[in-house]
Amino acid sequence: MDTSNPAAFVNAELLHFYVGRRVRALMQVIRSDGGIVIGKSTDEKQLVVKGSPPPAPLTTFVEVFGIVNNDKSISPEIWTNFGDAVGIVFPSHSSC
Amino acid sequence: MFSSSQFDAAAAFSGGGFTSSQPSQLNDSSPAASKSRDSQGLVPVTVKQISEASQSGDEKSNFAINGVDLNNVTLVGMVYEKVERNTDVNFVLDDGTGRIKCRRWVNETFDTKEMEQVNDGMYVRVYGHLKSFQGVRQLVAFSVRPVTNFDEIPFHFIDCIHSHLRSKVKVEGITSTNPSSVTSFNTPVKSEPNGSQAPSSNPGYAQYSVDGLKDCDKLVIDYLHQHSDMSDERGIHVNELSRELKLPMDKIMLSLKTLGDDGLVYSTIDDYHYKQA
Repeated sequence: MDTSNPAAFVNAELLHFYVGRRVRALMQVIRSDGGIVIGKSTDEKQLVVKGSPPPAPLTTFVEVFGIVNNDKSISPEIWTNFGDAVGIVFPSHSSC
Repeated sequence: MFSSSQFDAAAAFSGGGFTSSQPSQLNDSSPAASKSRDSQGLVPVTVKQISEASQSGDEKSNFAINGVDLNNVTLVGMVYEKVERNTDVNFVLDDGTGRIKCRRWVNETFDTKEMEQVNDGMYVRVYGHLKSFQGVRQLVAFSVRPVTNFDEIPFHFIDCIHSHLRSKVKVEGITSTNPSSVTSFNTPVKSEPNGSQAPSSNPGYAQYSVDGLKDCDKLVIDYLHQHSDMSDERGIHVNELSRELKLPMDKIMLSLKTLGDDGLVYSTIDDYHYKQA
């Protein structure tokens, strides 16, 4: 077993700690043009994913596994479609 | 008459079966403080936790984290390097904290079918047994299922944290909520993913309370523990407990009964003298 190069889950704020390293990022796809996909990260900041285009049509939420270029963009290696809804919707009353 | 005797036999059998299992059911529902002696059933873990688990005994190859035996575990991660063979399927599972080799023995067509659905690059949930082979920790999987709802991934990490905190608290014996230590898990250094909805708080931690001893019980057991060397074998009288802890007698007796049920104290020469177990 190997824990030498874990790929951490990141949001936009953490990207600059991981420049040059592999990460996973969950994002909501805003726009997808050819080789560039623009998405919104889990902390509402913009992420640019430049590189090999995604293989299948992207769902709304996508996980990108790849190497960080700079503090706003990632070079993707693997795309995973996460579906159109993630997260829990809390009911409106407070006792949850 | 024939039917009535059958009915009686059935009732007797079901009565016997029910009453014999009832005490164990009652034991299972008793406070969790007494359950820490048994090994847990299925522990959610990350690969990093497995790599840091201590190994007890050379023969048994039992792993333990925070005093909890790790036998059966569950992980969620991405499959790599899947190699199918006749009798087994090997793959590497990467869950974001590390990679671990997994092996799934394939004996029946059900097993083969299950593994056919799993491909490289796919997120799966694995249930398996931890083994150490030539110093390398591996997982022998008995169930591998593709993840369809991706909330399962952050859920698994939260589950690991929850399970870790529960067993850590049992080891350290903290009975009150400790917000300062809990909020350390909210910092981004711990690689826990957030859903895109970004829930504003973690409600579970705000109301997190330990299944430990209640305050009164804790006072009693602490007192018994502190005075256990000074008192002789007769133990401590309940009047002394009531006087020193300034608690009413009925509360003391109730605490002692609870602690006695858990096996933490026992009465000595009469019902009014107690010692710590």
